[in-house]
Amino acid sequence: MGTLILQKDKLKDFLSSLDEYTLWAPVQKDTITLFEVIKDPKNVSLDLKHQAKIPKEAVFPQTELLFSFDKDGIIKKTDSREMKESIVFGIRPCDARSFLILDPVFEGAIPDPYYLSRRNKAILVGLTCTEPFSNCFCTSLGGNPFSQKGLDLIFTELNGKFYVEVVTEKGKKIIDKTSSLFTAASTEDTKQREELAQASESKIKRQINLNGIPEKLAMIFEHPFWKQIATKCIGCGICTYTCPTCYCFDIQDEPTLRKGRRVRIWDSCMFGEYTLHASGHNPRPTRAERLKNRIYHKFKFNVDNFGVPGCVGCGRCISLCPFNVDLIESLSAIKSIE
Amino acid sequence: MKNPYLPEIAKIMDIRDEALGGRPIKTFKVVLSNGHEFNHKPGQCAMVGILGIGESMISIASSPTQKGYLEFSIMKMGKVTSALHACEVGDTITVRGPYGNGFPIDDWKGKNIVTIGGGIGQAPLRPILQYILDNRNDFGQLDIIYGARTSNDLCFKNELLELEKRKDARVHLSIDVGEPDWTQFVGFVPTNLLQVKPSPENTIAITCGPVVMIKYVIKNLLELGFSDEQIFTTLENRMKCGIGKCGRCNVGNLYVCKDGPVFTYATLKNLPEF
Repeated sequence: MGTLILQKDKLKDFLSSLDEYTLWAPVQKDTITLFEVIKDPKNVSLDLKHQAKIPKEAVFPQTELLFSFDKDGIIKKTDSREMKESIVFGIRPCDARSFLILDPVFEGAIPDPYYLSRRNKAILVGLTCTEPFSNCFCTSLGGNPFSQKGLDLIFTELNGKFYVEVVTEKGKKIIDKTSSLFTAASTEDTKQREELAQASESKIKRQINLNGIPEKLAMIFEHPFWKQIATKCIGCGICTYTCPTCYCFDIQDEPTLRKGRRVRIWDSCMFGEYTLHASGHNPRPTRAERLKNRIYHKFKFNVDNFGVPGCVGCGRCISLCPFNVDLIESLSAIKSIE
Repeated sequence: MKNPYLPEIAKIMDIRDEALGGRPIKTFKVVLSNGHEFNHKPGQCAMVGILGIGESMISIASSPTQKGYLEFSIMKMGKVTSALHACEVGDTITVRGPYGNGFPIDDWKGKNIVTIGGGIGQAPLRPILQYILDNRNDFGQLDIIYGARTSNDLCFKNELLELEKRKDARVHLSIDVGEPDWTQFVGFVPTNLLQVKPSPENTIAITCGPVVMIKYVIKNLLELGFSDEQIFTTLENRMKCGIGKCGRCNVGNLYVCKDGPVFTYATLKNLPEF
């Protein structure tokens, strides 16, 4: 829909001129990068390397109020129509594609109004990955470091400036509001962007061919392999909390003396209590069943139900696992089971 | 867009003790405060809860042919069910739903029905019995096989004893271990099923109870000549949302809350975790 140039020193002006929106962006805190609502655009960090939090939170918060109640049982729900539109800036292309995997889960026969109202009010602005990380494998899952899928606008850092691609009407609306900040991109800029894209893709070292994985998984549910790979897992759940496509949640009541609220919070299939029946029976009693379910959910059940794997190849679960449980190695091992 | 997480307020009109002792079961009769009809199908469930405590997925123990109220038979087990057991007539609880697929009961018209229940597993089968008795001419023979650990653990005992007096339903009760005054079958439910020996001819069998009981009941039904498609069961798992989103109740790629809780054995036997 168009390509533009924004000088790097104009980024602050671009973001501050959009103050009618709630602005989500990566922010540097000590050695890690968090994804947060920011008030001052000068805090935006373009270092996506140590992103410990994922932009999923802008649409599917870790803790979300469902409704509040008082002692008479009167239920009050916040009206989503009063919620401001949001701009989520600095999304990695893999994380952007994760929204396309989450959407059908929250749509469905009974749609989830909390997710969908935030989703419909979010404008997603990506930042291409010119330096992929050691465990990136997005190209094995239909993505690439410059993918536009799921984004409304996408920025690429060229020398001292951003090359901006307008992907959707929603994205164009933002550009139209701030058009004086942008200039047209030259063919030289486009060429430079192409070269960066190719160079970046060639830097992705890790790969897995997923052909045949769902079929193989259909045959090895009882295989001793699951016990073997689970010996390394400590069940900490970091793989699920940092996963852009994980969506499991818990619902909890937080009562006080005269009132209370019901919230939903991210949950993890790595925890025993997640499936524990009140009777004490647990259909997934050990880490072997839980790790197995996680891999089945992502690489078979999501394929069965929605036609695509529930993974974008961001590599966080590999990089952040304290015991080096490596998803790519696990998938390769699955492929080699006779 | 309707908010599926907002429950309706319901008032408890009646509470009946079904089983006493260490695993007490009570049946709660409730009416929605806004006057809505729930319009459920037999076999569907609802999220029953108390604001400030939480919610549990509970099968609806009454048939939609019984208008104006809902019944839930609940064993005191965890946080929510314990709080429900502490409730009194007149208290308000919350209900949302109905959830799940329910039994395809209208497809069973003209057929013989045999239900095989164990313990609290009789609760989801009860609306089938009520539905059939309220539409008695639409269905063939009705056999009710039901057992529990002891005679004190049998739910709906008076109702079932009343049914025994009718000519159009046969009730086959059992307890696991003999008791002095017990005159009916002593032994496990799957064994009683072999004693009763229902004919698979034009018959649908529906079973619910502990997983191990379900597995042996299915084995024995197959032995009696029932096909995979003639055998139905209804499952449970821990649930939070009830609408196939929170993730935890899956058996294979299916969610018990949304794709179940009713499954034919033909479907179940292909699921990896069953």
